Amino acid sequence: MSFPAISLIRREYLRWIRAPTWVISGLMSPILYLLLFGQAFDLGKLLPPGTPAAALAQALSGAPNYFSYFAVGMVAFASVTAAMFSGTGIIFDKQLGILQRILSTPISRRSVFLASLVFRGILTLIPAFLVVGFALLLAHVPDVAGLSLGAHVTALDGVQFLVAALVLSVAFTALFLSFGFAAQRIESYFGVVTILQLPILLTSNAMYPVSIMPTWLQYLVGFNPISLAVNVMRMSLFGTSGYPYAAGIYLAGLLAWAALFVGLALLLASRALRTDVATPGGSALSAAIAE
Amino acid sequence: MATVRFPLRWVRLNGSGGTGAMPVGGREVVIDVQDLRMVYPAPKAGVAPTVAVDGVRFQVGRGEIFGFLGPNGAGKTTTISILTTLLSPTSGQARVEGIDTAAHPHDVRRKLGLVFQKSTADEELTGRENMALQAGLYGQSGPAVDARISDLLQQMELASVADRFVKTYSGGMRRRLELAVGMVHDPKLLFLDEPTLGLDPQGRAGFWRYIRSLRESKGITVFMTTHYLDEADQLCDRIAVIDHGKIIALGTPKELKDGLGGDILEISVQPGAADLAPLVQSMAGVKSVARREDTYRLKCSDGERLIPKVVLASEQAGISVRGVTVAKPTLDEVFLELTGHAYREEGEGPAPRIPPGDAGAGAPGGDRP
Ligand SMILES: Nc1ncnc2c1ncn2[C@@H]1O[C@H](COP(=O)(O)OP(=O)(O)O)[C@@H](O)[C@H]1O
Ligand SMILES: [Mg+2]
Repeated sequence: MSFPAISLIRREYLRWIRAPTWVISGLMSPILYLLLFGQAFDLGKLLPPGTPAAALAQALSGAPNYFSYFAVGMVAFASVTAAMFSGTGIIFDKQLGILQRILSTPISRRSVFLASLVFRGILTLIPAFLVVGFALLLAHVPDVAGLSLGAHVTALDGVQFLVAALVLSVAFTALFLSFGFAAQRIESYFGVVTILQLPILLTSNAMYPVSIMPTWLQYLVGFNPISLAVNVMRMSLFGTSGYPYAAGIYLAGLLAWAALFVGLALLLASRALRTDVATPGGSALSAAIAE
Repeated sequence: MATVRFPLRWVRLNGSGGTGAMPVGGREVVIDVQDLRMVYPAPKAGVAPTVAVDGVRFQVGRGEIFGFLGPNGAGKTTTISILTTLLSPTSGQARVEGIDTAAHPHDVRRKLGLVFQKSTADEELTGRENMALQAGLYGQSGPAVDARISDLLQQMELASVADRFVKTYSGGMRRRLELAVGMVHDPKLLFLDEPTLGLDPQGRAGFWRYIRSLRESKGITVFMTTHYLDEADQLCDRIAVIDHGKIIALGTPKELKDGLGGDILEISVQPGAADLAPLVQSMAGVKSVARREDTYRLKCSDGERLIPKVVLASEQAGISVRGVTVAKPTLDEVFLELTGHAYREEGEGPAPRIPPGDAGAGAPGGDRP
């Protein structure tokens, strides 16, 4: 990464460290889900009394209890929620003319894009870590369900977990970043993003096992990038039994999504960062010049 | 006797005189613009496209302060955007330091510093951080750059607020920061889009001083736009007057004003005295004479020199002269003459009329806060 791109990352970092409020808003939903929904909604308790523990473990893909199963889903959800803010900065930069100034310097357009992706991608990962830590802590609180790991979690499993979390973060950061490059106004950006948030979450296996869903939904869920990431993460923590495919297959699927979203973001970014064309009515960029 | 002092420099710059059309006389051409046109597409069907720049051509020589003067919407920002590679022209060509702006925008960007019409600093960062960011975008960092940044902030009288967030800056501080940011990578060529918009008279005078000193000390070439007539008049070596996307006049401020036909000499005589008109009409340099009661208005070239002749001739003819004033033509009048409509500075408030040669001192109000 070039030096100018690092300057841009430094700028983003300075802005963020001074107003990290959005981390809290990004963390709010997953934490509430863990504290309330995850505590109240124990799928295990809905099974008829006397059901063998193995049957429950099978339904929960090897997780020792529902909360542990659910907590991994919330790690992914935290990333996606945090990623929702990825595209906001670029919109403000467009509107305030800051992007204009940046583009008038010799920095390459690709560096501008990469700086956003790298910095926002890292930011998106932070809430995921915090959720893991929080869920693990809850296990030590009496009368509160927490995340308990399988018996044989190795360092390699840990790395696999991290890779899945990272690729998921990059994928959704890129997706929402591309909306940021495309949108001219913050309202339209959040309009699209909030419409997407729930369907993306609810068509995944983050909150409930695939086995209890109707077949048509199972297909949808199977291809959802959250599901793919969550599969890999659960396999890392609770073992691989009961999955039709190896973790590598899910990871490959997730990577394909990430590649698609990064490609989309690159395309929309190169359009938004073009300074050499006057679009009908004037883009936000040329409007910013004319202002 | 009222005289107009021009920036001393223009005489030397355009020593050959009357070089308005062939501007760069002897100087290396830094900006070369040929038949530039910019048409913004219509926003929707049924609306005509906007011809923002309509066949503009001019050249700027090394070390010049070149002014683009025109009312709002004349096409100044569009032109500067093309020259600084932020827009591709519909047709025509612009070369900066010999490099085609459309073909090699990246190389052109390295050569120039740019100050935007509107503030582009990051409000959430301090002034110093904004400077460091800009330097970083040019690939510059390190102690030498930090020292340079401190130096520039000092020159812009921003040292005391350098580590405050830009959102706490006043309008004047923001403008000065923009200029400092544009200078951070030590460009030899500066583009300024309405740099003094919103500055108070002191701020404007300070800015003019700074620009002149830059040119003096570093030989920097400045291309600036302004819609303030007095700013163009006093700061710029040469002016292109632009209206509706076309350059309607180009030359030194003096050439433009002289082209108008010269000065206005106002002579008031003793009530009831004989008619002065026949006496002065035939004098060399007098172009027209108008009379209102006991006051005569002479349109003439070189008004100051005419004064003693007129007074002498009048006294000899027994006409007692009570007073004489000479008024120099202003760019307002130039603009009126060229376009047929008065110069409009709509939306911006009237341009402060700073007395020539007395920049900043006691200019009557009218500027924006
Ligand atoms: N992005 C744009 N899209 C359409 N029209 C524009 C755009 N930018 C400027 N214009 C129009 O082009 C003309 C010249 O504008 P501009 O170059 O900003 O003038 P100035 O800087 O002299 O005030 C104006 O009529 C303006 O409305
Ligand atoms: Mg303008």
